[in-house]
Amino acid sequence: MKTVAVMGAAAFLDTYGVELAKAINEVKDYWHICWLNGAACTGCTISFAQSVNPGLLEIFTSILVGNSGLPIVLPDYMETLQPASGTLAEELINRWKKGSKGRRILIVEGAVPKKGFCQIHGKDFYEHLQDVAPYADHVIAFGACACFGGVPSAKPNPTGVRGVQEFFKEAGINKQVINIPCCPGNPDHLVITLSAVMLGEKIELDKYNRPKVFFGKLMHDDLCPYRPYYDRGIFAEKPGEEGCRYKIGCKGPMTHTDCALRKWNGHLSYCVEVGAPCIGCAEPGFPDNFEPFYKPVAELPAVLGFGPEKIGEGILAATAAGIAIHGIRHVMSKKSEDREKKR
Amino acid sequence: MTTVVVDPITRIEGHLRVEMDLKEIKTSKGTFSVVETARCCGELFRGFEIFLKGRDPRDAVLLTQRICGVCPAPHGEASCEAVERAYGIVPPPVSILSRNIMHGAYYIYDHVIHTYILMGPELGIICKYPPMVPPALGKEGIAKLGLGKSYAKAIEIQRLANQIVALWGGKFPHFASQYPGGLTAHPTPARVADTFARMVKIWEFVAIDMVRDINAIINASSKLGEKISSILDVDFKGLESLGVSTGNFLSYGVFPDYEDYDDWLDPSKRKKALFRSGAWSNGSFKTFDEEKVREYIKYSWYSGESGLTPFKETTIPDRNKSGAYSWIKAPRYNGMVYEVGPLARMINTFGTKWRVKRVHPVTGEDYGDFVYEMRNPNGSVLDRIVARVACTIIIANKMFEWLEAIKDMENEKIINFKNYPSSGEGYGLWDAPRGALGHWLIVKNGVIDHYQCVVPSTWNFSPRDDSGKPGAVEQSLVNTWLPKNMSVKDVCNALYPEKDVNLSPVGINATVSWGDALAAALKPLGLEKLNLEPAGGAEYNTTLALMAVRSFDPCIACAVHVGKVKK
Repeated sequence: MKTVAVMGAAAFLDTYGVELAKAINEVKDYWHICWLNGAACTGCTISFAQSVNPGLLEIFTSILVGNSGLPIVLPDYMETLQPASGTLAEELINRWKKGSKGRRILIVEGAVPKKGFCQIHGKDFYEHLQDVAPYADHVIAFGACACFGGVPSAKPNPTGVRGVQEFFKEAGINKQVINIPCCPGNPDHLVITLSAVMLGEKIELDKYNRPKVFFGKLMHDDLCPYRPYYDRGIFAEKPGEEGCRYKIGCKGPMTHTDCALRKWNGHLSYCVEVGAPCIGCAEPGFPDNFEPFYKPVAELPAVLGFGPEKIGEGILAATAAGIAIHGIRHVMSKKSEDREKKR
Repeated sequence: MTTVVVDPITRIEGHLRVEMDLKEIKTSKGTFSVVETARCCGELFRGFEIFLKGRDPRDAVLLTQRICGVCPAPHGEASCEAVERAYGIVPPPVSILSRNIMHGAYYIYDHVIHTYILMGPELGIICKYPPMVPPALGKEGIAKLGLGKSYAKAIEIQRLANQIVALWGGKFPHFASQYPGGLTAHPTPARVADTFARMVKIWEFVAIDMVRDINAIINASSKLGEKISSILDVDFKGLESLGVSTGNFLSYGVFPDYEDYDDWLDPSKRKKALFRSGAWSNGSFKTFDEEKVREYIKYSWYSGESGLTPFKETTIPDRNKSGAYSWIKAPRYNGMVYEVGPLARMINTFGTKWRVKRVHPVTGEDYGDFVYEMRNPNGSVLDRIVARVACTIIIANKMFEWLEAIKDMENEKIINFKNYPSSGEGYGLWDAPRGALGHWLIVKNGVIDHYQCVVPSTWNFSPRDDSGKPGAVEQSLVNTWLPKNMSVKDVCNALYPEKDVNLSPVGINATVSWGDALAAALKPLGLEKLNLEPAGGAEYNTTLALMAVRSFDPCIACAVHVGKVKK
């Protein structure tokens, strides 16, 4: 993971994809994975299946995990992909519990609802979590729902969902959760985190327990390839137009993610690249704090009597434009602080 | 009475429990356990329709995709069309095309992943067809035994297909580009070329590999029928006698003609769409009428009036309602139970005899038409899985026509904008891979006032309606054989006693029967009791029942009204 931080995540993936596969393979005999789905849409499982470098086929056929020799993609328990159904499927959770101490990973997809809204094998999902949590040596919440509640937590949160970490607090379970948000989770984020866990690398987390290597930078400030448009005051006024996506509601200025660099589906594209705004799915408070999706997060301030639409017209000195932009940033960060206080 | 419960049913989307009450039948060969009645129980409720209220209608296009991560795209489309209808806008031809391309690629991923990863393993096992069994012996097993060969390739193909979705949508699952009035991604030469390159590989898999595999299953199915008939002394024709449904098939149509969107806007027409709308029943095509869709709640935990249209119905939870046994509402068309899905699309568009061309898009080589005549007029596992493959080839063929048409449209306007009215209502009707999907929307004061989804798995997995008729899947499980105290190995050895599987290529020096070979692969994985469920002091093999359930491609997160079911 240190290597990752130094090199930048994208370079790490490109150069280390194959090495990663080997590395995971070397520790194969000692790791057990239990992948639970709560109030989920299964999008994170499908997203995981889009992994490249190593691809799912590589993971599936070459990288084996656990004394059972199960492929990593068929962890001891994983509803959407495992061969077993029903009673046998549930028994496999017990096999996971008996895995080598220190090497049992729990991956959670989906939020944790209140009693009665999500049941598996006659038991509430939260009871399943309570049951397995004591055995988990590492807990990874994959996707916005498992991290912070996500879409089903949208007001009025009809089923009372929350993220795994918050549920653990309520239930008095003292476990560190690694949060890998986005909607769905990015397969690279998960594969790299898993390998870091298995290789014993320390993963540095931010205050929301997100790995800093992926979520340590504001997309707008540090990573967005459309940033030069913003600095020159060229804005897309409508979805699909060229220019900075700020005015069509892009939440890049308050979203910590490396989407712009890493991209999705084999590093091909991401939301902003196809003319749409970022909707902030890597942040706590998604979706409510980021809606309406097509409305800018904050009013652009009028600096020196000029609105932002004038910035690009060249009537302002460069310094004035600089001040305006500074002002915008200031307002943004203040707004996001306010939001955090409200949480 | 013995009740067998499978919970969770895995390799589907979401949390599904199936309960089957058994009865015994006596034949000259002995006494056998079959399903007398069945209940399908979804076990997750999130309440999308509740929290959508009060939001910007455009946000629904993105939020409703999160109903399901396996099939987000159709929700995006249905939602977008509902908003467009409420706003009174239509997309320009270029964006009808780009949507078709994005959704076409998505469709191929979905049908491929269902056919191979979700449904395939049981097909491979029961039909003695190694390419569809998961690659339990790794790369060596793939190379030397062909074990999991198609399964492994399907993983790569679904990824390629989703890369096309990402090219046009930003990412998948949950794309970002669908916007009322069009699509935000321009058809740049790079996008078109990158799509084309991937589509050639995808086409070859779909039109060559997938057809080879499904033909193998069709052939194996007849033999399976003979074997099971002789073992039980019953009339069982194979997979065409399994999972038999109602004979009523509903489709909303999918993939509009970009040159005639008026045809699409009237859902009773849609004659020029790639798959048309229709309400097939009693062996013939009937025109679809949107106003005949109703949802019934007599046996569901909701208070309020039953049998209302989606524009008028309410969603008022009432857990203590007497006589109710499910959170799922019961959607009915013209008061009847209808099956939805690929079979409904095929039969409403082409009738019961299908002929699909297979001409290579680059070389022009003709691989011969794929021809199939529906085996069971009421629908069956075989007809459903063949229909799914046929749909996939038809879409893969069409993708090249769409790409050809869009390649010169780079500079055309991609989105029709207007000042959005503060009130309006609309519906979006679109066939998702697993069947007819509808979103109904009422906008007031610029925000969502009412939102209702009636989704494919609600149709197929519905509980009994007000007149007591069970849902399509509940009906299809009746009379399914649940072999008593027979493991997968036992069943396979009974079906295929001959010792003809040579394991020496993977270092096991033996030639064994199919069941023993499977057991050798299952045992190290701890899966000897695969598909066995304990009930009444015995163990019942649920493999055939699981095949029937999975043939409907269940998607339980989609069945948004769904909650826990108590008897």
